Amino acid sequence: MNELFRHPAGMVGAGLLTIIALAVILGPFLAPYDPQAFHPAVRLTGPSVAHWLGTDQFGRDILSRLLTGAGPTILFGVGATALGVLAGSIIGVTAAVAGGWVDSVIMRTLDGLLAVPDLLFTLLIVTILGGGIGEAMLAVAVAFTPGMARIARSSVLSIRTREYILAAIARDESRAYIIVQEVIPNAIGPIIVEATIRVSFAIMIGATLGFLGLGAQPPSTEWGLMVAEARQYMYRSPWVVAVPGIAIAVAALGFNLFGDALRDAFDPRRRRR
Amino acid sequence: MTEGEGAGKQRHPVLEIRDYSLAYGTPTGPVDALRNVTVSIRPGRTLGLVGESGSGKTSLAWAIMRYLPANAVERSGQLLLLGEDLRTKSLGEIQNLRGRRISMVFQDPGTSLNPVLKLGDQVAEVLVRHRSLTPKEARDEGEAWLARTGISRPSDMMNRYPHEASGGEKQRVVIATAFACNPEMIIFDEPTTALDIITARQILDLFDDLHDETGVTALYISHDLGLVSRIAQDVAVINQGEIVELGPCEHVFVRPRNRYTRDLVAAVPRPDHRIVTTEPGSGDDLLKLDGVNVRYGKGKNVLDFLQPKREVVHGARDVSFGLRAGEILGIVGESGSGKSTIAKALVGLQDFEGAVTFGTKSYSGRRRIDRAYRRAVQIVFQHPDASLNPRQTIGKILSRPLKLYDLAPRAEWGRRVRELLKSVLLPEDYAKRYPHELSGGEKQRVAIARAFAAEPQLVICDEITSSLDVSVQASVARLLVDLQQQTGTACLFITHDLNLVRQLAHRIAVMQNGDLVDLFDSSEARAPGRHPYTTQLLDAVPVPVEPEEAAGAA
Repeated sequence: MNELFRHPAGMVGAGLLTIIALAVILGPFLAPYDPQAFHPAVRLTGPSVAHWLGTDQFGRDILSRLLTGAGPTILFGVGATALGVLAGSIIGVTAAVAGGWVDSVIMRTLDGLLAVPDLLFTLLIVTILGGGIGEAMLAVAVAFTPGMARIARSSVLSIRTREYILAAIARDESRAYIIVQEVIPNAIGPIIVEATIRVSFAIMIGATLGFLGLGAQPPSTEWGLMVAEARQYMYRSPWVVAVPGIAIAVAALGFNLFGDALRDAFDPRRRRR
Repeated sequence: MTEGEGAGKQRHPVLEIRDYSLAYGTPTGPVDALRNVTVSIRPGRTLGLVGESGSGKTSLAWAIMRYLPANAVERSGQLLLLGEDLRTKSLGEIQNLRGRRISMVFQDPGTSLNPVLKLGDQVAEVLVRHRSLTPKEARDEGEAWLARTGISRPSDMMNRYPHEASGGEKQRVVIATAFACNPEMIIFDEPTTALDIITARQILDLFDDLHDETGVTALYISHDLGLVSRIAQDVAVINQGEIVELGPCEHVFVRPRNRYTRDLVAAVPRPDHRIVTTEPGSGDDLLKLDGVNVRYGKGKNVLDFLQPKREVVHGARDVSFGLRAGEILGIVGESGSGKSTIAKALVGLQDFEGAVTFGTKSYSGRRRIDRAYRRAVQIVFQHPDASLNPRQTIGKILSRPLKLYDLAPRAEWGRRVRELLKSVLLPEDYAKRYPHELSGGEKQRVAIARAFAAEPQLVICDEITSSLDVSVQASVARLLVDLQQQTGTACLFITHDLNLVRQLAHRIAVMQNGDLVDLFDSSEARAPGRHPYTTQLLDAVPVPVEPEEAAGAA
């Protein structure tokens, strides 16, 4: 872990993630105004002493909306990724351990699904399930599953023929022991790293779905939805679009940098002695 | 230069390294790779550079070739090629020099040749670059060089790609390329290590011939003392970046003065120095193989009908032998001879046909093997780095067999693990460490301790010393023999090192292409009536000079 924080990208990433985590936990308490309260007198204003980040088309305080929206937005990303990683890992590990035709059938099916772009796939699922934040989360999770399964499988395959696994088989260890004690602890590194990086994709897909009106529904303060709602006022007051947009970018950047650093920390060739 | 040109030049060393120091910058600070190295090679001589892995021998080669990584820091010294300091040369000058005046032969011909270029083009390339020949002339000249390296149909070989040639042929092509521009100096970096025993011997003979013919000056890097004593006139022993001993081979190997050299020379396995003293138990065989066959690529897949013409390869064909309790049986052979296949079949990692009888019970395939058999037959693998789970402590690794086979109550595990560590001469507090905190030799000791933790009747050792350095190799082999004698466990010792196996095995089995071709008592290795392949193998391995004995003769 020390390794992670000595890495400059890791430090920046961890710093950004700390700020975001604080916003998620304390955001609703820190918000100076009610995020849904209209202030008709001060519509679409720029930053001021009263409204630090300005107001939107209904005169709602953007800072308050941003702080209350951090929770839903980030939890959406983390939740969708966690579900996708879990499902993908189970499928991938099963395929790698079973081998033979089970592996072939599972992987060829997933290859077919992988050919569809993530966003398109998500849209397809949301269209079937209907809009809403829960449905969108499930859709992103499903869209992530094939990719995660492939990573989990290759990670397991690369250690499946290691001599310590052969030694365990030769000792007559049970299949469950080998998978839980020998395979998973050694295969989990790449999976965790990929998951961190994917959180940022999930946040962006969530924002896109919000923007398209298929994810969170008004008057939610989800960041993607904030961008979508304000887009017609973009020319009169760029703040309304820019602030939630930058927030999304910063969160994505934080997870991305952290994921990169995590990857380096797990890779023994990049690790310092 | 103020000396007379003609005769003076002849006495001048071709390569002279003066007080050269090199370090590598790492995030935790610089690490010394070479310290105050001073050596010189006179024209036409071969200097052997001997050292264990990490001693800096390859760093020195790269420094001479001026091909150092970006984090290398040269601290001091000069690298003189016929009096000119290579360190002061520009990149352009160095590029003109490489291949023309100094060339290099690498360890693995499989990776030192470009797989997408024809072999002929790769030989011709240097000639066009350095001797300004036309492509046509270069090809003719290259072909002539291939012929001189003993390739039987050189014009044919010119048009082949690297994957169409064998390892030995590829190394001949690399050697032809190195010699093609008549360089003053050639660096050989373990050129035979990646090759089979018999091919390696042929390459060495080729080196000798070409060396006599061209009188080239050579720096020959190797970890194999026996080999260096055979081909080099002078030898430099390098340890942790320092040259600890330098002199003619006869002196260094026969009367080593430095302590490290003495240990190194003593560690080299010599067939006459038996380290096994006990005799195997008499009586019935503990393990008996009867017509064991292993086939790879055998159809067992539902989708096999998609590729009906799948080739079946025999890993082992009709192998039969017996092993008595307390006996050490060596299995030798080149890579691909099936020796590891037999090991895998015997520990139930590979399906087989035929019968394996252990004690009174007979097993006719992988699926018949039961837990009692798996406990009684343990394996130690070749790579200590890969055979221990990196996420488990040594204590956990060693206590696992105790738990799995129910050999000791939980309360006893700690004590038993300490005993096991002690039996392999490791400190008790290693139980808390993780594998990456141990050296290669220490890890191999842990792997041996894990095998003996199961209180087996037979331990299979699959090339357990071949990824270790010479001095570590000797101590691991001795340790294994000691444990084997204390416990009376039988041992199947698989190796390609004939000198080592003759030191410790009671009997030796020779395998070739999946067949067991010969089986004899160690003492009868040189007896008449051996299989021709056995004789060929024995002849291919240089037996190192004996220090005391040769000293007496001198």
